[in-house]
Amino acid sequence: MKSSKNNSEGLFESREASFEKSFRRLEEILGKLENEIEDFSLEEIIKHYKEGLQLLKICRDKLNAAELQIEKISTEEKN
Amino acid sequence: MNVITVSELSRKIRSVIENDFKVISVVGEISNFRHHQSGHFYFTLKDDKSQIGANMWSSNNILLRFKPEDGMKVIVKGRVTVYESRGSYQIDVWEMERAGEGELQFAFEELKRKLFEEGLFDQVHKKELPEFPARVGLITSEAGAAYHDFVKITKKRYPFVKLFLISAMMQGASAPLSIINAIRIGNKSKHKPEMLVIARGGGSAEDLSCFNNEKLAREIFASEIPVVSAIGHEIDFTIVDFVSDLRAPTPSAAAEMIFPDKAELMKKLNSMNYELGNSVFTKFSNMKNQLNSISNNYYFKRPADILNQYRFTLDENEKLLQSIPARKLNGMKTILDSTEKLLNSLAPEQVLKRGFTIITRDNKVMSRKSMVKTDDNIEIKFFDGVSGARITKPHGTLTADENKIIKNEIKQK
Repeated sequence: MKSSKNNSEGLFESREASFEKSFRRLEEILGKLENEIEDFSLEEIIKHYKEGLQLLKICRDKLNAAELQIEKISTEEKN
Repeated sequence: MNVITVSELSRKIRSVIENDFKVISVVGEISNFRHHQSGHFYFTLKDDKSQIGANMWSSNNILLRFKPEDGMKVIVKGRVTVYESRGSYQIDVWEMERAGEGELQFAFEELKRKLFEEGLFDQVHKKELPEFPARVGLITSEAGAAYHDFVKITKKRYPFVKLFLISAMMQGASAPLSIINAIRIGNKSKHKPEMLVIARGGGSAEDLSCFNNEKLAREIFASEIPVVSAIGHEIDFTIVDFVSDLRAPTPSAAAEMIFPDKAELMKKLNSMNYELGNSVFTKFSNMKNQLNSISNNYYFKRPADILNQYRFTLDENEKLLQSIPARKLNGMKTILDSTEKLLNSLAPEQVLKRGFTIITRDNKVMSRKSMVKTDDNIEIKFFDGVSGARITKPHGTLTADENKIIKNEIKQK
C-alpha cells in the first residue's frame, strides 16, 4: 500500500475512461452485437467490433496496472 | 436475666439468620474483589448506603462466564451464613449474573423496536452500492485488526480502488460520537467516496455496545453515501447492522462483499473477448454463406445455363455436319430407299395380294378359330373385294403343309 502524494484521480479512474464506464459500454456493445447484428451494416459491425477491442484493452490494462492506494482523511477536515 | 456465653449467643444468632435467609437474591456492586489462589472469590457487595461481605467457592465460580471486577453490578443468589468465630455474617454465593445485562438487552430491544417502527431499517431506504467502486471511505481505528484485514482482502481482490481512511474510535463511550463525526466527514469530503465502511473486529457484547447507539443509527440513516457495517460478531446483530445499507459479518467479509474479484473480472473479460469475436465472425461467416448461396442460386445461374446449352447444341451440330462427306449421304439415300420398300411391303394391301385374306364377322376381325362357330355367317376380304361364307367345320388344326406355306410367306418378308 502507498499513500498517494498528489491529488490526481486513482488509476482506476484515469484520463480517458473509468473501468466501470468501459466495462458497461463493452456489455452494451456485446448486447447489441448479440441482438441487433442482423440490422447492422458491415461497417457498423466492424465499428462496434473495433470499439469492443479497444474497451477490452482499457479494462485489462486497468486491472493489471492498479496498485492499492490509501489516503488518510484528516478528521479535522470539517469543511 | 439469664447470662449466656458469647458462643451461645453466636449460635443463636446463626440459627435465626440462617433459618430466615435460606435462599436470597441480592443486587449490588462488587468492591474489594479478590480471587484467592485457592480459586475462591472474596468480595464485598454494596450499594450507596450499605455493604455486606460475600464469598463464592471455586466449585461454584468455575462455571461463571465472566470475570467479576470492582465496580461491576451483579445479582447474586445464595444464602446468608454466620461465622461464629468472628461474629460476622456474609453471603455464600452460588450463582452470579451481571445486573446490567438484562437492562442493556432491554434497552437494545427497545431501541430496535423504536427505530424499526420509524422505518429506519426498511428495505426501501437501503441504498444501492456501486458494482465497481472506485473510492471507498473506511471508518475504523488504524491500529485495529479490522483495518489490517480489510486492506489485506481489498489488496488481493480489488486493488484498483482508492481507500480513504477516516480514523475513529471503535470502542468505548466516545466511540459513537467519533464515528458520527467520521460519517459526516466522509459525506462532506472533496474526495467523494461512493460508500463508507464502518469496520471493527470482533468483541464482547460490551465492546460492541457503542454500535447500539441511537444517535449513531440516525446518522447512518441520514448519510447520503451508502454505509456498510463491517463489525465482527460473536454475538447478535447491533443496531448499526440493521440501519446500514449492507451488513457484513466481519471486515474481511465486507471487502469480499463490496469488491468484485480481480481474477473473476479477468475471466469475465476473457469470455467477453471471445463473445465479441464470435458474434462478429459468426455474422461474417453467415454473410459469406449467403453470398455463396445467392451466387449459386438457379435464377442467377440460368442465363449462363441456357447459353451453355445453346452453345453445346451448336457445337454438336457443327461437328456432325463436318463429319458427314457427300458420298456418305448418297449411301444413306440407298438405305432410305430400301427401308421405304420394306415398309410398303408390310402394308395390309400387299399382304392380301400375296394370297392372305381377312375374315370378319359383323365387321370384327376373326383372328382365332375359337372366335367362330358352326353356321356363323362371315365375310372374307380379298385384296380386290369381299365374299360371304358360312362356317361348316369350326374345329380342327392346320396341316403340316398349311403351316409350311404360312411360314414361307412370312419368311419372304
